[in-house]
Amino acid sequence: MKKLFEDMLDRLSRVPGVRGAMIVDAQAGVPIVEEMAEGVAGGAVAAMAASLVKRSAKAATTAKFGELRAIQLEAAAGHLIIASHRDVVAVAVTRVDAQLGLVRVEMRNVLEALKR
Amino acid sequence: MRRADLDQVVAALRQPIETFVGETRVRIALLINRSGQVLGQYGFTRKYEVVNVASLAASASAAATALAELTGSQRWTHLHHGGATRQLFIAPIQTPSEEIILVAIFDDDSSVGLVQLFFDRFGEKLASLEAFRDAAPTSDQSNFEQDLEAGLEHVFLPDQ
Repeated sequence: MKKLFEDMLDRLSRVPGVRGAMIVDAQAGVPIVEEMAEGVAGGAVAAMAASLVKRSAKAATTAKFGELRAIQLEAAAGHLIIASHRDVVAVAVTRVDAQLGLVRVEMRNVLEALKR
Repeated sequence: MRRADLDQVVAALRQPIETFVGETRVRIALLINRSGQVLGQYGFTRKYEVVNVASLAASASAAATALAELTGSQRWTHLHHGGATRQLFIAPIQTPSEEIILVAIFDDDSSVGLVQLFFDRFGEKLASLEAFRDAAPTSDQSNFEQDLEAGLEHVFLPDQ
């Protein structure tokens, strides 16, 4: 399983503009595997991303939107793309000029792989 | 910690505990010293629950310290117990006057990662408090029970 996660991260991390990616245990809010650029606090990103997914999933349910699939957070200096499936959350931290379309495609692939 | 120091310590801890609870969304937070004396709490409604949790957490902390020494792991950073609906996080905080212990209980609204993340900052804040610079260390044997009682008197209002 860990090898599968590592392969997913490897592909995600190779997308231009991606500063790091990780697979997170959604319940614990801690990284399972991570590949982060220096200066990015992986543990903090994992905890916050898992918390954000929990909250957003509740909001999606309340709004009757069904299952939460992905969250895209835009900030001044970069983006955070988060996709979740059951107890696993995939996170990509990107620069502002990253190829977001490509990142989203890779995130979808990660999700598909998690579902199998 | 002696009765005279408690007013100052309990008052100084109130705000940091509330901030920690707000950031981490834990349901219950309890601060005790190594003897099990209660220095601060958030979320408990009954005194006897605090007494039970405080004494069990103090003994769990002592056991963890002994285990860490025994296995050569040296200083332990935290204990985490994941229950079916609630989780428990126990961690020591070193202050200039003595070691204190945080007990946090949380459910699905939080996570061990989130608690861990804010715990580091919480520990730094507590260690820098003026109250811990001046406070006398843990009670001696003759005053032990009296001082344990004093802790409870300070963290609960009289009618609780």
